[in-house]
Amino acid sequence: MASSQSNIHSESAKIEQIITEFFTKSLHIILESRSPCVSSRNYSGEQILSSPSSSSSSSSSVKPRDKWFNLALRVCPSALENIDLWRQSNQEPMVVDVILIQRPTDLDPVRCSPRRGLARNYSLKERFRNCWNPGQEEYPSEVKREKIIERWIVQYESRKSRDSSSGGKRTGSTSSHSLYKKSIILLRSLYVTVRLLPAYKLFRDLNSSGQIHTFNLDHRVCSFVEPFTRREEAEMQQFGFMPIDTNGGRLSLSVLYHPKLSDVNLESSTPISTQLIPDYVGSPMTDPLKRFPSLPVTTHVSPSSAPFCRRHSWSYDLYGASAPSASPSPSPTYSDSRGFPSNMTSNRLPPTSSPHHPPETPLSSNTSLAHNKNTSFDEYWPSPTFSPSPSPSPPTHVPGDHLSKALLRSESAPVSISAAKLGGSPGLPTTHMLPPSPSLKGTRPGLQIDNVRAPARPADVQTCITAQKILYAGRDEVGNLSGAKISSNSSPRISFSRSSSRLSFQDEFDGSDFACPFAVDDDDLMDLHTRPESFDGKRLLSEPLEPGGLFPIRKSQDAAVGSLVRMLKTAPPLHHDSNSFKLSRASEPENRSKSTKEAEETSDLEVKEVQNTASCSSFTSSRLLMSKTTADALEELQGYREIKELLLRQSSRSQTVANDAHVAQSVSGDTK
Amino acid sequence: MNCEVCQLKELEVEHFEIREVLRCILHTIVFHRALGLVRPKDIDSELFEITYVQCGDAELEKKIEEKIDQFIGWVEKHPNKKSQATWFSNKTERLYWEQWYINLNVAQQPKAHFAKSHHSKVVVDPGECALVERSVRRAALEAALREVLFQIIKFVNEKRDHIPPVPNVEGVSFPYEITIPSSSDSSFGMDVIKRMLQTGHPTMLS
Repeated sequence: MASSQSNIHSESAKIEQIITEFFTKSLHIILESRSPCVSSRNYSGEQILSSPSSSSSSSSSVKPRDKWFNLALRVCPSALENIDLWRQSNQEPMVVDVILIQRPTDLDPVRCSPRRGLARNYSLKERFRNCWNPGQEEYPSEVKREKIIERWIVQYESRKSRDSSSGGKRTGSTSSHSLYKKSIILLRSLYVTVRLLPAYKLFRDLNSSGQIHTFNLDHRVCSFVEPFTRREEAEMQQFGFMPIDTNGGRLSLSVLYHPKLSDVNLESSTPISTQLIPDYVGSPMTDPLKRFPSLPVTTHVSPSSAPFCRRHSWSYDLYGASAPSASPSPSPTYSDSRGFPSNMTSNRLPPTSSPHHPPETPLSSNTSLAHNKNTSFDEYWPSPTFSPSPSPSPPTHVPGDHLSKALLRSESAPVSISAAKLGGSPGLPTTHMLPPSPSLKGTRPGLQIDNVRAPARPADVQTCITAQKILYAGRDEVGNLSGAKISSNSSPRISFSRSSSRLSFQDEFDGSDFACPFAVDDDDLMDLHTRPESFDGKRLLSEPLEPGGLFPIRKSQDAAVGSLVRMLKTAPPLHHDSNSFKLSRASEPENRSKSTKEAEETSDLEVKEVQNTASCSSFTSSRLLMSKTTADALEELQGYREIKELLLRQSSRSQTVANDAHVAQSVSGDTK
Repeated sequence: MNCEVCQLKELEVEHFEIREVLRCILHTIVFHRALGLVRPKDIDSELFEITYVQCGDAELEKKIEEKIDQFIGWVEKHPNKKSQATWFSNKTERLYWEQWYINLNVAQQPKAHFAKSHHSKVVVDPGECALVERSVRRAALEAALREVLFQIIKFVNEKRDHIPPVPNVEGVSFPYEITIPSSSDSSFGMDVIKRMLQTGHPTMLS
């Protein structure tokens, strides 16, 4: 009897202990997945390893308490804070309310102050004891909205009437071992269930990092709570676990929960983190002359080249593949925007139609589509080697507006522009090319290339260098501009991207009499890289231009074209065999306009001079000029010289013929 | 000893969903039946908004993955089998005291169906509709999967008396067996019956 009595007592004690630990464990499981501050999911690997109750630790490091019910859990301070009551007595039910706190979106954080003892405001706290509310310290009660979304009830109903001491009865179903086994299963089910209920998603969202939420979860552990109203209870569903009957009572666990939380405003936002966009290319509307450090410093600046070929992220829609005219160099014969395909009105060059596409280059592949982004700039803009049109102003500003437009519209625009301009002749298909400036015509008749397939004049070629040089820098594709070499100094080649612009350009000149060195039916490419070597390394408009970065958009290209036109206009007449082409002449457009023959330019092009020219020309994109390098200038000079010589020869021949004819006439007249 | 059998609700799944569905179900069953010391590990399903729990036993996880692979392979070889199931049994000394039937209805590949019955021009539109339909199906499958998981929870809580005493071990406390269907339909059913007969199920013998 005594042994049975002691066994009964020990058994009761064991059951009592199991029940107590069951309360603790259940609260731990619930709060672990409902309290955002403390969660096993938040534990990092280090924390997990350091925690004796972590799942990754070995059994030896598991605390004895954690081994209860064979469920090793991480430490949950919230549970430890709230369990004291039920350690003393497990006769009181344990009610755990999971509260959803929603705050208005315009909540002023200043107004929110941590408040302790918020639970005291609850009528429940005033009426009942042993109810602990950690408090919603985040938001004042007057501005937040609370809603109980879950209510867990754990209770052990003792059956005093069924005193185990009456007969020493030991029921297998109510033995401590059975109770313990069933408790294990029940707590496993609880562990799974808390993760299947809708509130778990809120808990996970709160624990996610980097999210700003308009809600929060709080909990309240009480021994007694106000029952839900009928309306509230109607909105909730109940899930009850199978209770465990013991000799002394019944252990039960149930939950009332909101099945759907969609009606709750659970919007969360992700704070915009500062990000660096290394390749960002600003909009032309913001800062057209913005310099991008990613731009490589050019080594050659041709005064006649326009730094418009820098492709921008916004420029691809504008710059289709254009005919490879190029350089907005001093030559006024650069083709203007009209030289581009007829659909330039849409600022998009037509797709390539000419079969004479040059081998596709990285640039060309990007010119036809607005795919290439900022990263292309560095690639295709190694050095602004052409005299930039300093002004990014719209094309309407200058006579060479069309030219500027042409330059701006296509990465390969400079080539086509210059090609058209070089022609500068009525033979120019006006439908496709901007008509050359009359002054240009007058000043540089030699630049009027009647035949598209005429050998490319050096000047023509040089004038066509422009930004194309930069655009197509790195390209190895070299095409003969109608079979002609560009310069005697080097073999600068205008790289024609295999873009629609170029091909369309070619299409324009098909069958035309415009003799543009770039209006070729073959893939004509100019290796812009070769240009720098032809110069003495004198930097023209390089450094200052680079800070501006990209040659923004069409405005700068228009300006570049305009500057080219002005340079061409102010170029000295050809019959003046000047050894130095001074850009300052550009400041005297009236002289150039009177001159019909162009003197060659010298290579003594300074960045400042170009800038001055640009400024004199009232171009706003002075930085474009700075992209010209000395090499470009020298090349252009050579070109002009050759053109001058050619024209002189032609004129001399013509004069000779005229003289002979005159003499013949006079002789015949005399004889008569 | 009673052999409790639980026939889980049939789920209609697509081929690519088999793995995740079986993972959720099998791990949930094992977590309720590996009554030794466990360190639960929460796993977020890759396809569903469901978090299931693993026991943290690497060997167990590996075995489950192998069985899932076998089942998927079996399904690929037998695409016409609508109701396929794996069954999970707990056994002690080859006495099964519990069996779980996981019933999956693997849907046919929709592309083949379209190719047969639709003109090529119509393929474009059905593609968009297929996406919407798939999302709807996915939501329905997730809800059904939740129901199956709750079904497991209810079953394990309702049927507890047949569970043998829990040994003082870690992880899996009782031997278990995961079986996939055999190569033929007829033999599969026979295998199940044979096993049940061998266990001496009182209801079967009577």
